[in-house]
Amino acid sequence: MQKRLNTDVLYDIGKGMVIKVKRVKKPVFFVVFLLIAAFAASVLFGISSYYGDIETVYVKGVDDIRFGIDIKGGVDVTFTPPEGFDATDEQLDSAKEVIVQRMINLNITDYEAYIDYSNDRIIVRFPWKEGEAEFDPEAAVKELGETAQLTFREGIELDSMNKPTGVTAENIILEGKDVAEAYAAYDQSANAGSQWLVALNLTDEGAKKFAEATEKLYNEGGVISIWMDDTCISYPRVSAVITDGKATISGNFDAESSKKLADQINSGALPFKLVTASFSTISPSLGMGALEAMVVAGIIAFACIAVFMIAVYRLPGFIAVIALIGQVAGTLAFVSGYFGFNASGILTIPGIAGIILAVGMGVDANVITAERIKEELNNGKTLDGALISGYQRALSAIMDGNITMILVAVILMGAFGTPDSIFAKALHFVFFMFGPSTAGTIYSFGFTLLTGTILNLFFGVLCSRLMTMSLSGFKAFRNPKLYGGAKK
Amino acid sequence: MSDCKFHIDFIKNRKIYFTVSIILVAFCILSSFIFGAKLDIQFKGGTLITYLYEGEIDLNTFQEDASAALEGIGVKATTGTDFNTGKNNVQLSMLSNSGLTADKQIVLTNTLEEKYAANNLELVESTDVSPSAGKEFFSKCLVAAVFAAIVLIIYIAVRFKNIGGWLAGVCAVAALLHDIIVVYGTFIVFGMEIDANFMAVILTIFGYSINSTIVIYDRIRENKKLYKNKCSLGELTSLSINQSMTRSINTTVTTVSAMIVISVVAVIYGVNSIISFAFPMTMGLISGAYSSTCIAGPLWVWLEEKKSGKGGKKKAAPEKSVEA
Repeated sequence: MQKRLNTDVLYDIGKGMVIKVKRVKKPVFFVVFLLIAAFAASVLFGISSYYGDIETVYVKGVDDIRFGIDIKGGVDVTFTPPEGFDATDEQLDSAKEVIVQRMINLNITDYEAYIDYSNDRIIVRFPWKEGEAEFDPEAAVKELGETAQLTFREGIELDSMNKPTGVTAENIILEGKDVAEAYAAYDQSANAGSQWLVALNLTDEGAKKFAEATEKLYNEGGVISIWMDDTCISYPRVSAVITDGKATISGNFDAESSKKLADQINSGALPFKLVTASFSTISPSLGMGALEAMVVAGIIAFACIAVFMIAVYRLPGFIAVIALIGQVAGTLAFVSGYFGFNASGILTIPGIAGIILAVGMGVDANVITAERIKEELNNGKTLDGALISGYQRALSAIMDGNITMILVAVILMGAFGTPDSIFAKALHFVFFMFGPSTAGTIYSFGFTLLTGTILNLFFGVLCSRLMTMSLSGFKAFRNPKLYGGAKK
Repeated sequence: MSDCKFHIDFIKNRKIYFTVSIILVAFCILSSFIFGAKLDIQFKGGTLITYLYEGEIDLNTFQEDASAALEGIGVKATTGTDFNTGKNNVQLSMLSNSGLTADKQIVLTNTLEEKYAANNLELVESTDVSPSAGKEFFSKCLVAAVFAAIVLIIYIAVRFKNIGGWLAGVCAVAALLHDIIVVYGTFIVFGMEIDANFMAVILTIFGYSINSTIVIYDRIRENKKLYKNKCSLGELTSLSINQSMTRSINTTVTTVSAMIVISVVAVIYGVNSIISFAFPMTMGLISGAYSSTCIAGPLWVWLEEKKSGKGGKKKAAPEKSVEA
């Protein structure tokens, strides 16, 4: 058995160059090990506390992972104006606003919606509604594409369902066709100080009707409520008689909320009905079966890898398994929104493939290193020398392999990400002739591959090196046989 | 020569490897013409609707009824069994030019549910892609792949400058192309549809194959520094491949066994979408291990020898071997 020197190690890296390598202290293994274990446990279960029946989630766990519609089931639909109709960007904004409003009305909150301006398309994706077996996706999609009914009504009288009743139901002042346009404006001249507001331009007929109504309501101090289908979107008080068809709505608006209201009002004046260009549904039962199979397969496959690594590489193999657990937990943490800043991570089946590939890269990194250590030991190096040069020499291969992985992942995220993601913007020069993505599943692959690979560099390279170096300081672990060398 | 000892002379055997690979690639391409590629509607556009049903259904009348509900649009119906639930399903496919709008799908489902009330029809899945969207997705995948290949060649050219760079990058991509063709061939021969899974497998093999090749290049790069001019390029390469052998085998064994586990579990659970992912992946991984060991290095040596105009055993290092 070899003795361990207590000073830093001077190590000959060839070509007459000698580097000084800092010793890794003995307790480091336990610190790293406990940190990885605690991290993995918190990722698995999340961190939350109960106060009575109220659960407060501090850190999201695996249960909070949002699954793609290929796993959870859901609807993926692309809307476009009818053939031959060239919609303006403003019209598309309005149309999207209608769809979003309707999804909220249908109690669908976990939606994604974005616009492809170059191809006049609106892409919408939403998962199956939780606990709803009888959800009718076709009807829901049909409803989403309908033209919205915009109405301006007198007063604001609501029934128990928040639908218009009484005079509000009877007395419709304006309809969508009476509004020429609505836009957000910033008013700096107002006495009350500068503010955001929504400006309306009415048609001639609309102006006439509006003048009558405002005259009546101004005297009564009444309000006009604005409705999109059966949802009230605004109810301004009438503060003047408006005869020229140019009205403004003011209130606590900012740039965003004023644009939203303007988009909503414009949507009622849309001259087209949306049709579905592509439409897919997948039932949750089909997807959940796939998920369950994937989880079972993943656990068995991981166990096989762990047994193989420990059997073949002994101590470095054992360390590799710890590092791999850290890497898998880390990838799941990114997907579940554990770190808080990337709530958009959605796990799909190709996303799981990305995790598998990244784990494969993690196994590979550990195999390369362990092989190198074995080789150095068999070349007659001391244990310390073999460990140091083994890690040193394995590093360039691991780095090059992982960096190419990262490059591929970034290209995929750029090609198939939503148009506002940084990768999509950076790679716009390559994919400029294509509209935004219609295949979110491949983006998910890129996302898990990218995070998995970066985590591999952290866990599989840095952490496993720290753990091995520190364990090699213990007398019990000084036998080169534990590292694949011949016993001395 | 005394410095370079290795078990298997990969350079000497290269004719065998090249022949094997050429036959393999030719077979894959030929079978694509013989069997024909089954493009998923995601790429070619069209509509696919799946219903679960109970009892018995006559396929021909079902097909006619569906077609009638859609005012004569051509419908092809096939039946199958869902392993997971043990229920029977019937799949309708339509090659429509305009896509099947949600309206028409509602009409279809309502009509069929009414007619086949006794069978308890239940909609499981529907996909509808317009041909233009399908074409765009396909060409986007292609552009992404070509762009990635170019980026990888540049990266290898820069990182492996001392062993020739560009040529090494091109050989790595050639080995990669070999593996992609093998995966493609697997899909064709086993009659699986070219769909999103195909893309996921291709992408994974993309990364895996390049990585394996890089591990070997890395060893050549290191050995070149170590042995300087003591060995020929061919000897260096053979030595490096031999040294990386255990790593190649062990990594392949772990990843392939993981994939086999996934394939087996998928078969037990009856999740076809995972089988058509895991099985071609297994083939791709094996092909990747083979091509990076037997093709990339030997091909590179062969091209380097051709470039410098000398055949056979040539002393290492073409242009800038001698380091100060």
